[in-house]
Amino acid sequence: MNLLTRILEQINLIGGVALFLIGLHTVVTHSNLIKKIMGLNIMGTGVFLFFVAIGNVEGGVPPILVDGNPLYINPVPSALILTGIVVSVSVTVYSLSLVVRIFQSYGTIDAAELAKKRSEVSEHD
Amino acid sequence: MIENLPILVVLAMVVFAVTIPFWKKLSFRFTLILGGIVLVSALVANVAIWNHVQANGEILFRFGGHLPFLGIEFKIDAFASMFSLFVATLSLLIYLYSSGDKTEGIEQPEFFRFYVLFFLMLFSMYGILFSNDIFNTYVFIEILSLTSCAIVSIKRKKEAYAAAFRYVMLNEIGSLSFLLGIAFLYMSTGRLNIDLLRDALHTGTIQANVWMAVAFFTAGLGLKAAVFPFHIWLPDAYASAPTTSSAMLSSIVSKMYLVILIKVYAKVFGFDLLKGSALSTLLLVLASLGMILGSVYALAQKDLKRMLGYSSVSQIGYVLLGIAFFSEAGLRSAFFHMISHGLTKAALFLAVGIVIYLKQSRSVKGFEGTGFQMPIAMSVFAVAAFSMIGIPLTSGFIAKWNLGIAAETASQFGFLVLIVVSSFLNAMYFLPILFTAFFKDPADGPQRAKPEKIPAPMLVSIGALAVMILLLGIFPDWLMTMIDVVLAGF
Amino acid sequence: MNDVIVKSVTRAIIPFVQLYGIYTVLFGHVSPGGGFAGGAMIGTSLILYTLVFGSVMAKQKFSHQASELAETGGILIYVGVGLVALLVGLPYLSNLAAGFLPGVPGTLLSAGMIPILMIAIGVKVASTMITLFYKLIAEVKA
Repeated sequence: MNLLTRILEQINLIGGVALFLIGLHTVVTHSNLIKKIMGLNIMGTGVFLFFVAIGNVEGGVPPILVDGNPLYINPVPSALILTGIVVSVSVTVYSLSLVVRIFQSYGTIDAAELAKKRSEVSEHD
Repeated sequence: MIENLPILVVLAMVVFAVTIPFWKKLSFRFTLILGGIVLVSALVANVAIWNHVQANGEILFRFGGHLPFLGIEFKIDAFASMFSLFVATLSLLIYLYSSGDKTEGIEQPEFFRFYVLFFLMLFSMYGILFSNDIFNTYVFIEILSLTSCAIVSIKRKKEAYAAAFRYVMLNEIGSLSFLLGIAFLYMSTGRLNIDLLRDALHTGTIQANVWMAVAFFTAGLGLKAAVFPFHIWLPDAYASAPTTSSAMLSSIVSKMYLVILIKVYAKVFGFDLLKGSALSTLLLVLASLGMILGSVYALAQKDLKRMLGYSSVSQIGYVLLGIAFFSEAGLRSAFFHMISHGLTKAALFLAVGIVIYLKQSRSVKGFEGTGFQMPIAMSVFAVAAFSMIGIPLTSGFIAKWNLGIAAETASQFGFLVLIVVSSFLNAMYFLPILFTAFFKDPADGPQRAKPEKIPAPMLVSIGALAVMILLLGIFPDWLMTMIDVVLAGF
Repeated sequence: MNDVIVKSVTRAIIPFVQLYGIYTVLFGHVSPGGGFAGGAMIGTSLILYTLVFGSVMAKQKFSHQASELAETGGILIYVGVGLVALLVGLPYLSNLAAGFLPGVPGTLLSAGMIPILMIAIGVKVASTMITLFYKLIAEVKA
């Protein structure tokens, strides 16, 4: 029972790390380039969730000045993660445009086929 | 006034980068000259900063005047200042080279994009060096990794896209690991400022979180710096990028990640915390594997730029070996090796670039007789290759000598053998190239007396690099005094 | 996309989306939101317009030169506002101490230079979103 409550208390952190690992697994093992990009996004989301969960305070209110003196949550992680999201968007756009170019020049978006085609090209050199 | 110079250098880079599209409408030459002026003034500013830091101690720069736990700050100590001087010098030389080179088929419109990326890259590197805030460092790392991926794929070539895709994927895994490391640190200390982090880590008890952070920082930065088992993106990326990009990536960008690694180990965690841990052993093993296997892979390559890429892997192993001792002697050798390798690799890539520029061939065979056709370029290549092998009178020799001293003070004599073996392997792949270049007749008939048609800026740039390699090899003392000033601040 | 429903609905909602985006930018310093969120809304409305009416018409509304100018301008405003503090001898990006007017806290005209920075960020983000989108569809066509 004790373990279960502890897990429930930390569920956001555990979820963040789990997403990170799922994403990492997707990036490394899938050979479809689009799925690799998706994996990267999942990884990023995991880290962002983890970061935001650190700033959460049980029973806190959003950090906007109100009357009385309630318990505010920590706004810093959320502000930091905004930057992280911007970065993640630009990385996604850049890698998607690379995939477009790869498809135009090789006619495939599968990493294994891509490697085969590239080695054929280099043998002809 | 001088306290404001660092921020002005950083701002000058970003402002020039974003205004290039407007300058280029006026005139291409004008843009090039303006960029040169910006880089020269950055170099002058960095010399001034170094003098100031050496005389008066570190410069602390708080954005908006906020207190450190609220705002972000720039801290320019001797460490940051020495490496920013290094970046300023090398970037100026590479810029000079690129202004003469039409960079292997980069076409006119891309040429401007190349310079936009070049200056954004410099912006992020100065930011990484100066920043004293770990999250800010992460943001600059992301800018650096995106621009360096883009600079690989700038040439409209098939191979470049595939190489850049692999580069961006692995780079991004590295960045996210770094971010997760920051998250673990923030979780246990609630601080992002490096000085405050260090204080917090050294007062409380060390939690498991901190070791998680160490692991994620090591993995992330190791991926980005191409430490041995994570090097798979490097040869492709360097080989398919234009020459100036590869020179930039191998000589400056890969050093930046090592600088961050040193910053994290020495300034955030502190060597006393890490010294007794298993991390040292792990890094030593990775470094020695990299030193040997990087050279072995390099032996098997036919494409010269791929070979130089694998040679970078082995050189990064040397630097990592210096770091892994977690001692003053180790850091001294790592610093010297980073600077020496930056100069040497830039000279090698740029000299190879000249050969590619003239001969349109990148195989080792294409070098036959080039020693007669382009004596200056090949002499520079020879000097740099000697420095890579570690022949006395070049900077590479001093670097390896220092590394040997570091291994000896840590009484790890096995590494002396490794250094010698790795040097032999280096000689095995560099000497045949020099042999083909100087002792074989050109394949396409006796063109011995043909004058060189290489643009002057390219020759000036590589000439300056060769002179600096020799100067460092003959008079290493001035750099050693600089490094001693830096080490005094740790 | 030649669907009457889609076109009319898009025509109807774009002004509201943009107005809300501008509101979010302008009130960034007194309420949640700010330059990035608002700029993203404005950028998204332009993307929606491009998706529905095609890139030819979209470029008439918001040309490549305009977005280039907006992108550079956003950064230059930010850098320039920060440099004001250096002129009076304070650290870069100093706010009230550098002579920016504090206004009445909690109202629209307050917080010194932060609204100016928010507008700069909003302009930059909106133009970057639309530029990225244009580039991506240009890639697919080529």
